[in-house]
Amino acid sequence: MRHLLDRHILLVTGKGGVGKSTVAVTLARRASRDGKKVLLIEFESVSRAAPLFGLEEAPTEAVQIEPGLDLMGFDLLHSLHFFAVDQLKLKSLVKLALRNDSVRGFFLAMPAIKSILFLYHLYRLETAHGPDGDGRWDLIVCDMPTSGFVAGLYGVPAMVGQIFRVGPLAKTAEGMGKLLFDPLITGIVLVTLPEEMPVVETIELRNALRKKHGIDTAAIVVNGVYPTLLEPAEIAALGEAVGDGESPGSTDVHGLLWAAEVLRGRSDRAARLLPALRSAVNGRVIELPHLFKRQLPIGAIDELAAVVKTALKGT
Amino acid sequence: MADTPTNPLLTMLDESKLIICIGSGGVGKTTTAAALGLLASLRGRNTLVLTIDPARRLLQALGLHGRDLPSNTPLEVFPRMLDALDHPEPGPFDRGAANAGSLHAMMLDPAAGASLMVERLLPDDAMREQVLGNRIYNALLPALSASPDLVALELIADLHREGRFDLIVLDTPPAHNTMDFLQAGQTFSSFINERALKWFAKVPRKDAAEKRSIFRRGSSVAMSVLGKLFGAEILPDIAEFFDSFRDVMPLMRERNEQTDALMRSDVTRFVAVTAPGGTSLREAYHLRDLLRKESLPFAGFVVNRVLQAPDGLGDEGRLQALSEDLSRRLTSTGVPADQAASLVARVHEGARQLRFLDRADRRQVAELSALAGANAFCAVVPQMEHDIHVLDELRDLATQLVGGLQD
Repeated sequence: MRHLLDRHILLVTGKGGVGKSTVAVTLARRASRDGKKVLLIEFESVSRAAPLFGLEEAPTEAVQIEPGLDLMGFDLLHSLHFFAVDQLKLKSLVKLALRNDSVRGFFLAMPAIKSILFLYHLYRLETAHGPDGDGRWDLIVCDMPTSGFVAGLYGVPAMVGQIFRVGPLAKTAEGMGKLLFDPLITGIVLVTLPEEMPVVETIELRNALRKKHGIDTAAIVVNGVYPTLLEPAEIAALGEAVGDGESPGSTDVHGLLWAAEVLRGRSDRAARLLPALRSAVNGRVIELPHLFKRQLPIGAIDELAAVVKTALKGT
Repeated sequence: MADTPTNPLLTMLDESKLIICIGSGGVGKTTTAAALGLLASLRGRNTLVLTIDPARRLLQALGLHGRDLPSNTPLEVFPRMLDALDHPEPGPFDRGAANAGSLHAMMLDPAAGASLMVERLLPDDAMREQVLGNRIYNALLPALSASPDLVALELIADLHREGRFDLIVLDTPPAHNTMDFLQAGQTFSSFINERALKWFAKVPRKDAAEKRSIFRRGSSVAMSVLGKLFGAEILPDIAEFFDSFRDVMPLMRERNEQTDALMRSDVTRFVAVTAPGGTSLREAYHLRDLLRKESLPFAGFVVNRVLQAPDGLGDEGRLQALSEDLSRRLTSTGVPADQAASLVARVHEGARQLRFLDRADRRQVAELSALAGANAFCAVVPQMEHDIHVLDELRDLATQLVGGLQD
């Protein structure tokens, strides 16, 4: 676990609505605060990270948003252009070709084109060098779409290799494969909520990645874990004190009992579900607390980043 | 059933033929689709709920654990609705098990569906063999599982044409841009477009000698770009792939047009499913604008997982008064004062935190309700504290959904 942020690439994924973006930003900020040069890439077109840093959207090229932290939004057309210039070396020819609606349409409509171009771009960014000759970034954190897409990503090198059996693209496919499948370079971070279905699906995904692609999940992050505020005996005492709601004035105080029960139920559920997650990844689980906000400001991200620091130290 | 005839949700369940649930992942789309399907069935319609997700989620929502759902074939999930429900009598918004229509569920397998499509589109044996044996086609096949849109649209159009079901409720794939989904047909047509067909017509076939010579002569800029990008080696394979589609393009385009027409027809309704949270409002605006721009029939919002705290919690002052009241009650039942104080402090803090969430949710629901306007509904479903395990729970949820309409 100590090595989680020492990898070069983290692919952050999970089912929809579990807070993948929050976790991606938190990990990126944690690493940059620890002195690493970090790039955060957002796959989805609507940026979640940009507003936290006072930007409207994520730039299509890596741009520094604070010391040690760069941000980039994946853009299909931009990546296509990047790829074409790489292959053809002639910017003017690429411009000419991509200005043509049919050519552009043909490429953008290719099956799996998003996965291919994303992986290609990631490969080039990972192997990019900074002015000092070192890698331009120590760590690239990718805020990915849901897990199905990421599982599909692992099939891309083989697919590209199968189509282009020789030539530069076959070589690139090989390079992309090496990058993805080397556990010292790339780690998958699965994000989940402490709820039944997300937990079951997370464990299934972890198993599928291992079985199908031989990939071990680097870590599981559980978002929104409710703290244990009350013991069962205390809930019982509250119930007794508040009564059945028949006595005058007790209806409103029932609201407090409602709150106590909701919180108790949710922390119980988390406690019940967490052991299975821990055993699925040999304890490499980071629990992030529920912050009781529907929208997290940057200060909340720092709160979570502090929790990550403690969690990484503890293992 | 004591329903108001003007409830727009019930009108939708009774009159539309295709309900498409859209929205980002994790907002309870599958459960909403299952609940709507169940209620429609209990109102007498023969209903199919179709999912593209691993079907286990749908089965779980329907209270069916451990059953296998065959792909691309509708399965009647409750041949005897009477046995499936603990409370078979009519509910507030339905006619009960005795008067129910059928309820089918189906999971879409995009890869299998793609082969089925090829078979249907390419009636000629030799041509079909050519596509199914083509190396490009087979390499791309796994990619279809990650992008099942086109196959889904085709299958829905087929099912609709067959007319076996009164209503199809579609749970759209997660992680998917709604636009990608709706435009899948057009996207495929632009991949295999006339221009591309023309380019590849100039590529010598595999059996031709001197494969590369044509590029030296430079047939067109496009061809030379493709040759350089992909390597001239592969062009004959791609050309063969495109060849196979040449004759069926008009047919494919016709089918795309039909699917597109179905999406826009007055028997179709789009339901945007959402949940409280930072980005979901933005998403809701986006979806509504998208549907409007594409002239697609928007029915309304379903807001899942709304906290719905009791009204009595009030503001901070009220909360303080309630805490003091609770403290007195605790000590009067014999709890020592220091224990009571610690307990009340924690409950107070917890209630305060939940009230923040509740406030945020109420604001969001109000905004969505305003966004829906007069012509669309906004239905609110309270947060459930556990997953749905039995059919009766799903029916309760559907009842809450219909009953939770905002003004």
